[in-house]
Amino acid sequence: MIKITIDGIEVQTDREITILEAAKQVGIEIPTLCTFKNLSPSGSCRMCLVEIERLSRPQTACTVKITDGMVVRTNSEAIMRARKAVLEFLLINHPLDCPVCDKAGECILQDLSAKYGAAAGRFKEGKRTNPVSFEDPVIVRDMQRCILCTRCVRTCDDLQGAFAISVINRGSHSLIEPFSGGRFDCEYCGNCLSACPVGAITSKLHRHTYRPWYIERQVETICGHCGVGCTLTLQMRENTIIRVIPDFEKGLNSGMLCVMGRFGYDYTEHEERLRSPLIRKDGELVPVSWEEAVEFTAWRLKELVKKYGGGAVAGIASGRCTNEDNYMLQKLIRYVLGSNNIDSAARLFYRPAVSYLERMFGQGITANLIPGIANSDGVFVAGGDPTTINPVLGIAVRSVWKKGGKVFVVGKSGGLRSNIKHELNHAEGAGALVLTWILAKVYEKKNFISENSIIDKKLSALKVPDMDMLVRVGVSPEALQYTADELVRLKNPVVIIGPETVLYGNGSKNLFLLGALNYVLNGRLFVLMDEPNTQGCLDMGCSPGVLVGGRPVELETFGHKMENTAGMKTPEGTGLNLFEMINGANSGSIKAMFVMGENPVFNIPDKKKVESALQKLEFLAVSDIFLTETASLADVVFPASAWSEKDGTYTNLERRLQRLRKGTMSSRGRADWKILADICKALGMKESYTDVKSVWDEISRISSVHSGVRYESLIGRGGIWPYGGEPLRGIEGDFEVEGLEDMPELPGFAQSGRVILKEDKSLIHSSSLSRYSPALMGVASEPLLMINPVTAQSLGLSDNERVVITSDKGTAVAILRADRGMPEGVAALSNTFKDNGFRSIVGYTIDPTLKSLNITDRVVTIERAKQL
Amino acid sequence: MNDMKIKDVVVMERKEDTGIGRFLKTVFFVEILQGMKLTLKTMFTKPVTRQYPKEKRPAMPGFRGLHALVRNPETQQAKCVGCGLCAAVCPSRCITIYTSEGEKHEKVVDRYEIEVLRCLYCALCVEACPFGAVVLTEHYEYAGYNKADFKMTKDKLLENWDKYMAGTKGEEYFKRFWGPRADDFKTPENQAVFKGRSQSKVDLHNAE
Repeated sequence: MIKITIDGIEVQTDREITILEAAKQVGIEIPTLCTFKNLSPSGSCRMCLVEIERLSRPQTACTVKITDGMVVRTNSEAIMRARKAVLEFLLINHPLDCPVCDKAGECILQDLSAKYGAAAGRFKEGKRTNPVSFEDPVIVRDMQRCILCTRCVRTCDDLQGAFAISVINRGSHSLIEPFSGGRFDCEYCGNCLSACPVGAITSKLHRHTYRPWYIERQVETICGHCGVGCTLTLQMRENTIIRVIPDFEKGLNSGMLCVMGRFGYDYTEHEERLRSPLIRKDGELVPVSWEEAVEFTAWRLKELVKKYGGGAVAGIASGRCTNEDNYMLQKLIRYVLGSNNIDSAARLFYRPAVSYLERMFGQGITANLIPGIANSDGVFVAGGDPTTINPVLGIAVRSVWKKGGKVFVVGKSGGLRSNIKHELNHAEGAGALVLTWILAKVYEKKNFISENSIIDKKLSALKVPDMDMLVRVGVSPEALQYTADELVRLKNPVVIIGPETVLYGNGSKNLFLLGALNYVLNGRLFVLMDEPNTQGCLDMGCSPGVLVGGRPVELETFGHKMENTAGMKTPEGTGLNLFEMINGANSGSIKAMFVMGENPVFNIPDKKKVESALQKLEFLAVSDIFLTETASLADVVFPASAWSEKDGTYTNLERRLQRLRKGTMSSRGRADWKILADICKALGMKESYTDVKSVWDEISRISSVHSGVRYESLIGRGGIWPYGGEPLRGIEGDFEVEGLEDMPELPGFAQSGRVILKEDKSLIHSSSLSRYSPALMGVASEPLLMINPVTAQSLGLSDNERVVITSDKGTAVAILRADRGMPEGVAALSNTFKDNGFRSIVGYTIDPTLKSLNITDRVVTIERAKQL
Repeated sequence: MNDMKIKDVVVMERKEDTGIGRFLKTVFFVEILQGMKLTLKTMFTKPVTRQYPKEKRPAMPGFRGLHALVRNPETQQAKCVGCGLCAAVCPSRCITIYTSEGEKHEKVVDRYEIEVLRCLYCALCVEACPFGAVVLTEHYEYAGYNKADFKMTKDKLLENWDKYMAGTKGEEYFKRFWGPRADDFKTPENQAVFKGRSQSKVDLHNAE
């Protein structure tokens, strides 16, 4: 027990805390500039000076830890004089341009100057000048205003782990500069923005338009870009979002955001937003009234179901829409039209991966907490870069490294490059080879006694490759040995699985290997999720085989739970999945389709095939916020309301239910569930819904995993299902592994002039939605082809050159960017930009075991583009 | 209450004419004639009230009338930089400012609007303005038939300055009554300071 006295008040604590924290606990405010939430103390601003008895000089309260019997005075005359002097020093170079500074009104320096500062400075010398840097598309740096508290630098290094900025020069010439100089070459997370106490680092998006007192409303909501589900606050003026700030108190992201969350909100005000419903008349989409569009859709669907039966209708749901939207779509397809043909883009990776792992270990195996990653002592990542797919989850991985834990990455290390000791960057297609070796070694060393005979049997059937093979795929023996040795030592490991494990073949084997590795290590599994509500979309039954709450359709045929509780008769038989729907549309067995918030033409490979399939449909209805590639083929297009314009719930990758709140009013579109409910109503649905809550009430009544969750109770961090129940694990059942006993083949090395293409998940862009965000387009405006410099050189191409990528399925144009992280003979292209998406120029097959996407036709030629 | 004595209250008895006297007064309109006498007498004297539309009362120095935005004589543009302090301090929230970034990254005032009908002429905006860019003129005659006329835009406000503060009048008047105490951004000790919103309360009297 430590007892100290601060200003005559006695404080007792058990922990060794700083004087600043102790004073805060008893309500004594000590002014400080350089201390910030979650940051380690630095003591650089000298604002928090306090007097400590028996010490001759004032001490900084933020760095001095309390000791027993300490007597501290924070408000003596000498301290007041010291504060005044510190402020006078800080203001020597500060331009005092508060009237045109965006920070004015919430600037700590301003507030402290008003409270403690002198009315005038005594320094006659001129102010140091630094030109304001406008080189960057989203961040403005005004280094005249900087007070060198280094909060931004510490945030960048300690929390974000990007190490992008630093203090340069010396003395009064010191300033904060990115290592790239001028324009930032970083992750653009903008966390330095929220750390800056003055207006030195500000957002360009609201430059000169923002004042704290202009904010009319602010709403706490969930980010709509990726599967992490960060809590953020929208600040609005007159129905436009002025800025997005993180919430340090609430949410699992504890004040951290990524570039998409912080800057990528402006797509909601893009001029190409759909404004009214459209119906195709004489081959042209023409604006019509809402009533007409709803009536027309209902009439067409009714007619087609009458003519061809319910099985001729299909629906595609979306991980970008809320749970309620997805629930309503499956209600329309299943219970109003009578078809089990409902699926979503989760089919491409997330759904098969999660359901495969759940078949191995039981339901909910991937339901682990993201903040909990930081408590782990080691992270094993395979199949994708968490710092680009789920950036805030990536930050948690980095914090493991920061605390001394180990990070291992199989494949391209990307954003975790500085956190790993050895690269395990194998040649394309050799992932299973590397994983098999690591798993076998760990299994051997761990002396593992398995309780699961099925996994055990499969483990012993594995054929382990020898070191020669591994060296031939470009992995060093030391790296492998190190990885195996360190993995065995881990006490609390985490295994993160990304989409590349499934997308490029060998899906079931890769997942089995990673699942088994996690089982042997006794770790926690995470599956990366690139859309905000993919998990929720599955929970809502937007998958052919399962109903709301993950209840298999087969169970319903003899259990009749839906029929008994909600009076909804489930159609018989398993429906078609996404790929079968496309094939069905091509062959003519699917006649009508409702696509909600999804863009299959762009997001499913083989654009020509998908496009021609959708064109063959007799009726295609699309609800989306933009006229996407898919929407432009539709017969009816409904303008949906965007993420900031609707209420609802999202389920993130840890299965945390969080509330999305309406910020801006939508004058253009309606929420998807409302559009769908209107159509259902026109088709004879009995229930009527007044608001999103009434939809949720129905969900919580029907779904077993959501039962008892009240809409109002979903506040703050929400709840994680299964609620209050036992973890749904420990189910033993057999599962298939394709090619288990085969030795993985050595990949054929690329022929000269030909390169294997991969999908690049850019940090700046979240699939194709972000191409409508001016801010994100400002940061990354053109499609990039990431390629190994050696390969580029052998092709006779140099950096920043415009190249044409040609495959059997199509061509794309991109800017070549040399990236040493890429293995030789491999190039990566993102699936973001119109007409130049990765998936438009590759083909696909369906993985026989997982029923997931297996991207083929990836061998491309890369040539210099002709000069325009 | 009951203990209170009514010694301070003097009850005056009113004597009323009764009988014939009252009858005669009524028949001969005595009271009306008395009144008419006064009326006739005043008809030929100088009126004591101000004959408003003909005779205007000169505004007292420092009178707070219609708003104006100060025009910078050098640039012929508004002095206002769009800091928004007037909007922040305005108790009736009648000032709306929209600013944006200009071509040279400067702050541009796109819209500066005052809803005159909501204004209570406290002149806190004038006091808060660090650039002396907004002022209340002496002009007070701006009645109108249309509500929209009372929404002062930036152009109208600049026009007001030209009209009602013409020549050196504006400058002198402004300096005398509304000018900031110092030309730089230093806050004079006797002037109110905007303290920010989210932070703790600032005690002005104890801060030096």
